Amino acid sequence: MVKLKLIYDPESASKPILSQVVLKTGVAINILEARTEPTAGELVVDVPTTGEKLREVVSAFREHGVIVKEIMYAVELDRDRCIACGACISPCPTQAISFDENWDVVIDDSKCVRCGLCATICPVKALRAV
Amino acid sequence: MTGELGAETLRTYEEINEKIKRGDAIVLTADEFVELAKSKGVKEAAKEVDVVTTGTFGAMCSSGAFLNFGHADPPMKLQQCWLNDVPAYGSLAAVDVYLGATAVSETKGIEYGGGHVIEDLVSRKEIELRGEGIPTDCYPRSYIETTITIDDLNQAILLNPRNAYQRYVAATNSSDRVLHTYLGTLLPHYGNVSFSGSGQLSPLQKDPLFQTIGVGTRIFLGGGTGYIIGEGTQHCPQNGFATLMVKGDLKEMSPRYLRGATIHRYGATLYVGLGIPIPIINEKVAETAAVSDEEIFTEVVDYSVPSRDRPIVTKVTYAELKSGKVFLGGKTVPTSPMSSIKMAKEVASMLKKWIEEGTFLLSRPVEPLPRFREFKPMPLKKYEPRVRDVMTREVYTATIDTEIREVAKLIVKHGIDHVPIVDDQGRLVGIVTSWDIAKAVAENAKSLEEVMTRRVIVAYESESVDVVATRLTRHKISGAPVVDSAGRVIGVITTDDLAKLVRRGA
Ligand code: SF4
Ligand code: SF4
Repeated sequence: MVKLKLIYDPESASKPILSQVVLKTGVAINILEARTEPTAGELVVDVPTTGEKLREVVSAFREHGVIVKEIMYAVELDRDRCIACGACISPCPTQAISFDENWDVVIDDSKCVRCGLCATICPVKALRAV
Repeated sequence: MTGELGAETLRTYEEINEKIKRGDAIVLTADEFVELAKSKGVKEAAKEVDVVTTGTFGAMCSSGAFLNFGHADPPMKLQQCWLNDVPAYGSLAAVDVYLGATAVSETKGIEYGGGHVIEDLVSRKEIELRGEGIPTDCYPRSYIETTITIDDLNQAILLNPRNAYQRYVAATNSSDRVLHTYLGTLLPHYGNVSFSGSGQLSPLQKDPLFQTIGVGTRIFLGGGTGYIIGEGTQHCPQNGFATLMVKGDLKEMSPRYLRGATIHRYGATLYVGLGIPIPIINEKVAETAAVSDEEIFTEVVDYSVPSRDRPIVTKVTYAELKSGKVFLGGKTVPTSPMSSIKMAKEVASMLKKWIEEGTFLLSRPVEPLPRFREFKPMPLKKYEPRVRDVMTREVYTATIDTEIREVAKLIVKHGIDHVPIVDDQGRLVGIVTSWDIAKAVAENAKSLEEVMTRRVIVAYESESVDVVATRLTRHKISGAPVVDSAGRVIGVITTDDLAKLVRRGA
């Protein structure tokens, strides 16, 4: 399973690229997050495959002029800097961040879609999108 | 001794301090005391416990430090002063400055501010000092550049005009865009709730009647010892918004409890750790000290309304806020704090430790804080135009089943650009512009539904024209319907209306 970030221009936003790629490759791609702005669009998708099949999916997107980036790791938390304020928790779009029983923050890598919002808003720069 | 119920003295300050010196004072954090009172009752808890320690750790923008640099040779009168490029206020005596927590670096912007300088000072880092002044006979120098550390200074005094808000409103956002506020990032459509304050650990929440808290109360401040020197600015205890003015020796403080911070797209600030010991001098104090998160309410306020008087969405308890979710607008919404509950607990535990070890004695306040203070808005003496002053009141609306041809006629006949679409009660459901109609005709659209915009940017009558102009620009639109609180269309405001205003002004 791999997470991909897809960046496309607004023209292609209206085209059903995703379903075309799903049809062509037979891989059931799952949208985790979508963001459309007037100048560009961004999707984070879950691709439940690896190896050759994954390369096929990536090149299918690229054929449609989509920029594809692989999301490798979750965000990095610097415990020494973190003040456990919690400012990163409720804005996280996938609710990947929470408090543990000691009111320390924990990040669930499997939920994180690497949008980077938490790293942007952390008041003491304890989070880094790697 | 007064006759008031529960006011009979259980123990005096002197008795408590004697016990502290002997090492046998019973000290509980506010969290522990709440639990004890729940299980044994307040009366029993009051008998057993001498001191309850509180704590809070949050972004406190009204903070800063007085610094005295000593004199250079030849000496100089600092008129303007920068510390690591962050300006400090120099219009005091020659080498005194006040460094505010929210001042921002002239080279790095809000990424580095006064709060960061304070953190670097207490971390004993070298700080670049730059100063300018007007030479006089006694102060001949006009420019200085050097580096200093906190140990080079004569005095470094943290003096915060407003700290430790008893509670704070929680924030949410009904609009369709992400907001970056001093209460954190707020997702659209009530996507989350952000709050501040430590609830049942909050110092002023534990003695809201100021039976023990007053001028001269010794406190935990930034990891060192500090004092309450009076009510804070905007102190408004009758509404549950008491505040404190505090001071302490910065040289004794620790960067663990004073952290420079940047609130995204808002500004620089300082996180301050502050704790107050509450001596359980009588049962009445014990009662307020035992108040739990379930009993402390605050309002959830809609921060998408750009006005001082933002609408209250609902009321919640700190217990709900701390649980991680609240029920709001028909759905469960995630919550999170801006202030650190973990660190607030740590402050309360640290203060408890100091008292248990006998290194921190309690002080009797020389004067209580005022129980009432009017909280006045800033008077706007200069006329500021409101939407109601410039909006067009003759508004031509259509409903969803109005024929496209009819709407086109309306536009041509009245020379308008926007036609709000309303339901049978006059409430806004969408909008079409002359462009949408032209497109509809060109594309042979069957109904308004196909071409109308559903997410409409609106304006309110009482909003300032300035704010609405910014909104129109941001969304690159030429007008917006004006709606009342029920969402009914009562007018439109367009860039033409705004232009009229400019002409009127000229
Ligand atoms: S916003 Fe930063 S400091 Fe606050 S809890 Fe998250 S990682 Fe820690
Ligand atoms: S990058 Fe941060 S905010 Fe975005 S999904 Fe991951 S944890 Fe959540």
